[in-house]
Amino acid sequence: MTRARTAAYWTLPALICLAVHWQAFEAWFRADDFAWLSLYSHIQSFSDLLSALFRPEAQGTIRPWSERAFFIAGYALFGLDSLPYRVIIFATQFAGLALIQLTGFKLTGSRVAGLLAAVFWTINSTTTEPLGWACVYNEVMCAAFLLLALWFRIRLLESGKKRFQIFEWITFILGFGALELNLVYPALAAAYTWLSRYDTRQPRKKTPANWKHIGAMFAVSIVYFGIHTWAAPPAASGPYAMHFGPSMMRTLAEYWTWSVGPVYLELPPHVKLWMMLAAIVLVSVGLFAFLTRKLRAGFAMAAFCLVWYLVTFAPMLPLRDHITEYYGYIPVIGLAWLGGWALVEGWRRAGSTRIVAAALAAIYILMVLPRTVRATHWNYELTEEARDLVAGVARAQQLHPGQAILLDGVDEAGFINAVRDKAFVLIKADRVYLAPGSERRLTQQSDWDRVANYVLDPSIAQQGLARGQLQVYDVRGGTFHNITSTYRYTLRAEGLPSRVSAADPLTAYLLGPEWYALDIDHRWMGKRATLRMGAPKEPERKLYLTGYSVDALGPAEVKVSVNGMELPPAPVNPGPFQLSFALPDAIVGQREMKVAIEVSKTFRPSNEPRDLGLSFGTFEVR
Amino acid sequence: MRNIGRFHAVMLAAGALWCAGCSQEKKVPIKETVEEAPSTPTLLTAVGMGDPKAEKQLLNGFYAIEANSWRWTAKDFSVVLRPPVGSAAQGAVLDLGISVPGGVIQKLHNVALSATINGTALPPETYSKEGQAEYKRDLAPNLLNGDSVRIDFHLDKAMPPANGDMRQLGVIARSVALEAK
Repeated sequence: MTRARTAAYWTLPALICLAVHWQAFEAWFRADDFAWLSLYSHIQSFSDLLSALFRPEAQGTIRPWSERAFFIAGYALFGLDSLPYRVIIFATQFAGLALIQLTGFKLTGSRVAGLLAAVFWTINSTTTEPLGWACVYNEVMCAAFLLLALWFRIRLLESGKKRFQIFEWITFILGFGALELNLVYPALAAAYTWLSRYDTRQPRKKTPANWKHIGAMFAVSIVYFGIHTWAAPPAASGPYAMHFGPSMMRTLAEYWTWSVGPVYLELPPHVKLWMMLAAIVLVSVGLFAFLTRKLRAGFAMAAFCLVWYLVTFAPMLPLRDHITEYYGYIPVIGLAWLGGWALVEGWRRAGSTRIVAAALAAIYILMVLPRTVRATHWNYELTEEARDLVAGVARAQQLHPGQAILLDGVDEAGFINAVRDKAFVLIKADRVYLAPGSERRLTQQSDWDRVANYVLDPSIAQQGLARGQLQVYDVRGGTFHNITSTYRYTLRAEGLPSRVSAADPLTAYLLGPEWYALDIDHRWMGKRATLRMGAPKEPERKLYLTGYSVDALGPAEVKVSVNGMELPPAPVNPGPFQLSFALPDAIVGQREMKVAIEVSKTFRPSNEPRDLGLSFGTFEVR
Repeated sequence: MRNIGRFHAVMLAAGALWCAGCSQEKKVPIKETVEEAPSTPTLLTAVGMGDPKAEKQLLNGFYAIEANSWRWTAKDFSVVLRPPVGSAAQGAVLDLGISVPGGVIQKLHNVALSATINGTALPPETYSKEGQAEYKRDLAPNLLNGDSVRIDFHLDKAMPPANGDMRQLGVIARSVALEAK
């Protein structure tokens, strides 16, 4: 190839990737991104750093490079400027594309097939979120690790040079820091090595297969799986619970349709479902026909494409209730190799075979590309909405320092993509609330915090407005409109709130005089403290107390009385606590209740004039 | 040796970048807000339904302006008004100007309108003829303390959503006012 053609060969997939995913490149952050970005602010020491990097989080995942280090270092260096994160994500994707081209060439013997595989992969709809949503970078990085390790294996098998074995091992081990899926690599290495011995095109290998090393890699994967299971036991229930059985085949079938067709089988305008299903069947039949033909001709490596697909999908198949669009991102690489190869072979044959191959490729592109572009745009819009909310709060905070901010009109997307993961904490806006009534508009998801926890009680809002502690913004339409002066007329407060935060200046009016002054995000009590709050409206309700007890206090006992009625005491041990006290039905329906808390002992730290009991925290009736 | 030197240079550069990043103020996106003007006029004592500037006083239950002059109401609707000067001593008159559409009478035969002001119920009035009408009530001075009053109106019946119109329709509101005595 000439230099120009070589340059074009290597840059074309990346350019197509950029063209298709341009809005992913421009996207900001959303949802889980904010939780990962906030990790940085929790790091005060080296042990904090180790904890932030390796402690199981979010469904027990441990992904030190692709999530923890990526976001911690990213936030430390670039804050909320999303561009550098995107550069890293796309650079990794481009590396993955190049490795697909290289491996594709080795698998198929055709450089063009490798190129087409990279293109088929990068336009697939499963690539939308890994490229457009920063917290799914783990998929992009894992793909790069798996492909790189496989490339070193290929080079090892070709050359027999020891250094490739070392590189393969390093890549394999480091890959665990990207995604748990990395544990399937030994199966990929074994399959490639074994199939390469039977591929009629390949000269009989003089180099050793290194089965011992592959066995050792299997052992590493098993040990990793054991440690991971011990550190973060799999969920027994909920969406992440594993279900082994026939449902795995159904899950695989669903993922297959999303792999050769659009994710969620999303139909473009004027396309009916039967047309889409027919198109998926056609492309599938084409792929399997090509695979069968190749295997019959002795091209054993063709099977590797399918093995890649099945092996990298296997760990996700038991997740019956958590079918996710980007889970196909890595497996689809196998089908992309097969598809690229099929198109090249079909094109080389004249007549109807060429037409069929080109038609099937066109059908695939027409099925997946519109959805990829649409979903990229959708993702971009969600990040823009999150940015509008964060940027509006940032400005409101500049204009009204020290005041709490109430957001009226936050929709479902805004809640999920900015509020729920506490995006505002990143701009040091700790006291941002949703307007009363928001909980009726927003969907409560079973595996998330209660929406009500983000909503300000109308009576607190009323008090906050009366005291000039609160600014209210209508956020509909993306621009914040200050409606503070008229908002109070819309409030209908009845009685006192059922949830009181001792750490919130807005609810300080409900606290008795025994409480100490606010300490940033918590408030200490002495031996005894009181507060007023709403009584339960229905019987069999409980009073929940959350807070923190320090080591210096040691084990203690907490007594609570409500309107003078003493409730059975509860023990409290050092560390964060949540205590619950059954409330007497006698107070149901009362306008308010006076709560008194007493701790059995206090302590006085050195250089501290105060006797301290417990640090709070919230009080909630539910 | 050269490799070691390169390694050190790279590490130094990475460290410098890290320190620079850590010490700088984090880049925070800012988007301008639309603030209330410092001279935001106080609430109006009378609101014409065709006046978009008075919309903030229509708290709930009012649909969009039609023909620049009126709005459909729902079954329940609320406004906030500024009591007229001296009303805390002399009281005032609540005047809601409405039109009862023929369709409402044909379908519901009659509608009764009542109101509550600061928790005090005002007597209802029943309308059984189509055309313009008023809901007028004397308000005692003790209901008009403060710089604003919220008035909640209630219709005993309303037309349910029909023919693709998802709105619940009550009567047509033209104006609402607190008039000095």
